[in-house]
Amino acid sequence: MREQETRRLVYLSMLVAMGTALHVVEGILMIPLPIPGVKLGLANMVTLLALHLYGFRDGLTVALLRVTLASLVAGMFLSPGFLLAMSGAVGSTLVMALLLRHTSCFSMIGISMAGAVGHNAGQLLAASLVLQSGAVVYYLPVLLLSGIPTGFLTGYLLNELLEHRSGIFRDFHTASPVSRRS
Amino acid sequence: MTRADKILLAALLLFTLLSAGALYGRFLHVPDHAKPRQAVVTVQGKMARRIELAPGTKSSFVVDGRVGPSAVEVDGTRVRMVEAPCAAGTCIKQGWIAHPGQTVVCIPGEIMIRIEGAAPLDAVTR
Repeated sequence: MREQETRRLVYLSMLVAMGTALHVVEGILMIPLPIPGVKLGLANMVTLLALHLYGFRDGLTVALLRVTLASLVAGMFLSPGFLLAMSGAVGSTLVMALLLRHTSCFSMIGISMAGAVGHNAGQLLAASLVLQSGAVVYYLPVLLLSGIPTGFLTGYLLNELLEHRSGIFRDFHTASPVSRRS
Repeated sequence: MTRADKILLAALLLFTLLSAGALYGRFLHVPDHAKPRQAVVTVQGKMARRIELAPGTKSSFVVDGRVGPSAVEVDGTRVRMVEAPCAAGTCIKQGWIAHPGQTVVCIPGEIMIRIEGAAPLDAVTR
């Protein structure tokens, strides 16, 4: 029992570290598109993995810690960009947790796409609060158009990772009784 | 990829297209040149005449300014001063005006012709 708990803590910490690394690397690697705010969302994979393995509370914890740590590493803590990343992470976590808990028909692809849309919604909500203007809604189609394929991609990657259950993922699976078709 | 994934993907793409159409659609059909424009002639600060500027119409009229009559010519959507009682004739040299906000001014006669209408934006900064 106690060993189980320690194991969970270690895996969650590793997930936070992985998410932080992905988030920071992604911030450094600029996608060659002249559109601000378009990202691959690789770090979202880790949030989804945590949600999948440990449920809503731990998934949200991983997401929030990941954003906080990554913003500290990048020197963006409490900047507008940090607020946008935070609200986006919360939005996507909520949407993905809802779908994971209450539906069983989606694979990781569908959940990841829905999470990307939740990320965009959360981001725009925060942006409209920061800018005190509802005009940011005009950016929604642009974000959606980029979020859907990137959500698809990260969901596909996660599907493959879970399916092959190799290396660390095998351990993750034995660590958690939760299973879901992928 | 399950069937539900595909349905979700299609629904999201449809939603994106619809939201793009709803948000951006009204920017596509603003034929700037089709907006009704008017030329307003003022003499000594008071409005003397208001002319609709419709393409294909031609007219001319005389405005009585402070120092005498001036002749104004309207050709479709543009306007100019053709005759003035003053020696300098600066207003005549100002030539045709056609865009909202442009003016022809006659100082001695205190006549001003101004085009009214929605001015196109050069840029919007935030």
